[in-house]
Amino acid sequence: MKRHPMLKYLKEEGPMGPRMPLIFCPGCGSGQVLNYTLHAVDEIIGEDKIRKEQFLFISGIGCSGRITSHYLNFDSAWTIHGRALAVATGALLANPAFKIIVFTGDGDTGSIGGNHFIHACRRNIDVTILCLNNGLYGMTGGQHAPTTPIGTITTTTPYRNREAAFDLCKLAEIAGASYVARWTTAHPRQVIKSIMKGIRKKGTAFIEILSQCPVHERMLPVALLKRFKESTIRISKTEESRHGKTPIGEFCDVDRKEWNESYQEIIDQFLAVNGKAHEQIVD
Amino acid sequence: MNRLWIDERYCKGCLICLDVCPTKALKPSQEINAKGYILPTSNDMKRCTGCGLCELMCPDFAIAIEKAEG
Repeated sequence: MKRHPMLKYLKEEGPMGPRMPLIFCPGCGSGQVLNYTLHAVDEIIGEDKIRKEQFLFISGIGCSGRITSHYLNFDSAWTIHGRALAVATGALLANPAFKIIVFTGDGDTGSIGGNHFIHACRRNIDVTILCLNNGLYGMTGGQHAPTTPIGTITTTTPYRNREAAFDLCKLAEIAGASYVARWTTAHPRQVIKSIMKGIRKKGTAFIEILSQCPVHERMLPVALLKRFKESTIRISKTEESRHGKTPIGEFCDVDRKEWNESYQEIIDQFLAVNGKAHEQIVD
Repeated sequence: MNRLWIDERYCKGCLICLDVCPTKALKPSQEINAKGYILPTSNDMKRCTGCGLCELMCPDFAIAIEKAEG
């Protein structure tokens, strides 16, 4: 019997019995994003000759947090709500060779972890942030989130949401991230390409993936995927021709100095002046 | 002819694979698994081109396509 090719990166059995199937509801976008990420990681391992042990997955709290906690056969950390990026900063200081992938949700990044998020982008730390944006708080019962679009019915906005939504991609771009992209779960190849680009990028890569929540949006997953295709438009189109659709694509791709590199400069500067003295100390 | 494998324990019956298949080689089956989900089954595997979209978009790692040799 042939099995799914990405199962080799997942832990199917644990000390307490089988861990699979995944905990997510049927048709959830989180499982799809995990699938795309593993495809991207698989290609990076094959092409760049990066060892599997170099990858580190970190997540916060929420549906997206469950991805790293039980299933990944990589080094992973399941941290407190919104603080995944703080843990990633520490891990990167300890070992700059880590390829860190952070799974966060929209509540994780946009509300409770908002400051960690903008300062990670400002410092330009070398992480790849995957933000699974389903526009509501899925795990706690479908309450409205800072990313809920205007006019959406959720459990806490029964008369439709009146508050403007956060545009996380624009926020990341202005805060200084090196690479910013937005896709949906209905664009698998583009997501994989973006994740690969983000892992290879030296600096913060922020990839927002619009993801479906069939349970709280009360629609079939297939209908939600179709809606993603219809309600989005490429960023290359002009503002007038978008007709209110959500822009998707690569928002920015620039080269800025990475956080660890900029501190390494100070170390090198002092080593050049006091090189001999330093060698004596080391001896 | 390519061969279809469905992991009955992992499939949650979201039927995304049916929708993304460009040649409509899959259909919902008449049977349900132990958890009560409707599984996909092969409609006509001669139509399957082995593009792998169903494997790529499966949220539960439950589907696999074994490509015919040659």
